Amino acid sequence: MSGSRLAVTWRMMVLAFVLPLLLILAVEITLSSGIEGFDGDEAFTRFANATLTSYTLLSLLLLGNLFFYGESRNRPMAPLVGMFCASLLGVGATFFFINQGPMLLEDNGSAQAQVFYNIVHMLVSAGAVAFAVCVSLGSMFSAITSQKRRINFTSEEE
Amino acid sequence: MNIHTVRGVMDEMLQALLLFWLPVSVVPFGVWIFLSSSNDQRKTFGRFLAFVGIVMICISPWTVPSSPSTAAGHLLGAIIGPAVLILLGIYLVSFSGHVPVGRLPRSDRKLGMILSFVGFAWFAGMHWWILTPQIASGKVNDYWFVFWPTFLLLTSCLSSCAAIASLTIGDNRKTESNYMFMLSGLGFLIIFLGLNVDGPLITTDDFREHLWLSVADLAGIAVGGLLSVMVFALVIFVYEKTLPLPATIEAPQAAELEQVANVIASHIGGGVE
Repeated sequence: MSGSRLAVTWRMMVLAFVLPLLLILAVEITLSSGIEGFDGDEAFTRFANATLTSYTLLSLLLLGNLFFYGESRNRPMAPLVGMFCASLLGVGATFFFINQGPMLLEDNGSAQAQVFYNIVHMLVSAGAVAFAVCVSLGSMFSAITSQKRRINFTSEEE
Repeated sequence: MNIHTVRGVMDEMLQALLLFWLPVSVVPFGVWIFLSSSNDQRKTFGRFLAFVGIVMICISPWTVPSSPSTAAGHLLGAIIGPAVLILLGIYLVSFSGHVPVGRLPRSDRKLGMILSFVGFAWFAGMHWWILTPQIASGKVNDYWFVFWPTFLLLTSCLSSCAAIASLTIGDNRKTESNYMFMLSGLGFLIIFLGLNVDGPLITTDDFREHLWLSVADLAGIAVGGLLSVMVFALVIFVYEKTLPLPATIEAPQAAELEQVANVIASHIGGGVE
């Protein structure tokens, strides 16, 4: 596949990914002449909390991964320390921003409660994401295997 | 706050730690042992650990009723049935088709489709019928509003992406692409109905509000995840860059080259059977 063709394919796939969301927005705007129920402040709070939490949790996961990466390289300390600092930065940034006031506090009374809420919320969201991925990929696989068997290589004629 | 209240709060925190957060951390630990061990006994132990963790999470609303986090355990218990039905259905449909190994009987295909349909109908019943996960009578579990719109939106988006991918990258995959467009359309249809048809406990306004929040959630997860992966790559890159270059070896001598040439010559040619 040539470079320009590949770029077009990627663009089409990205467009296809956001298409359902754009359609929902279009239908909402057409039927209700605006995006009903959308609260910008609340959405920003959710976005910021999700960003901080996913960064921190994934950094911790990758820190564990780095431990095994070091197994084949005499377990060097430098990348472990670097990733540990990056994870700490996530934890520190989460507490710092939540403590700034009501901006990132949702319906929770304290920063600690908000952090626990964020983790549980992230687990539920990640569960939904994982389930959606399983359903989509599984359906794609079942659609492929349900078709008639294809012959990919024709035998060489004598 | 008197000493009894402090002790009560501590007890509640300890209970939440032991009966909710510990099982939550035990599940990935068990899965890790299961996936990384070659020993059968350790594999069984990992599976057992993950199973016990899931059961403990599911029953946490009863074991730690004071912790609001246990609503997630309640949700897990509520959705595990339809989720397993859908995944089992997809597995049966997939492996009753043309697969080279582990092929199931052709009759399993119908059973798989029925199971998947029942699973989706069960989920729909949670929105528009009496099956809604309720943490107390008439009070919908808050995490259901997180799970349901996120799942529907992402399924619709991913299926649409898969449909286009099979059309553009795949060779003559129009039928498969149509199936994926149908799944994407199903997700879109359920979202559309959720935005316009009230359920007994979930109104269209509730669903609409949480749908936009799930978009913010997904965007946040994507940005945060991407950032952490970039930091990870940067850490590895910086470390690898500081490593000294490997020592260069001397060029082969004439005798070594001759030996290599002899070895190669003895393996190619094909003149002798």
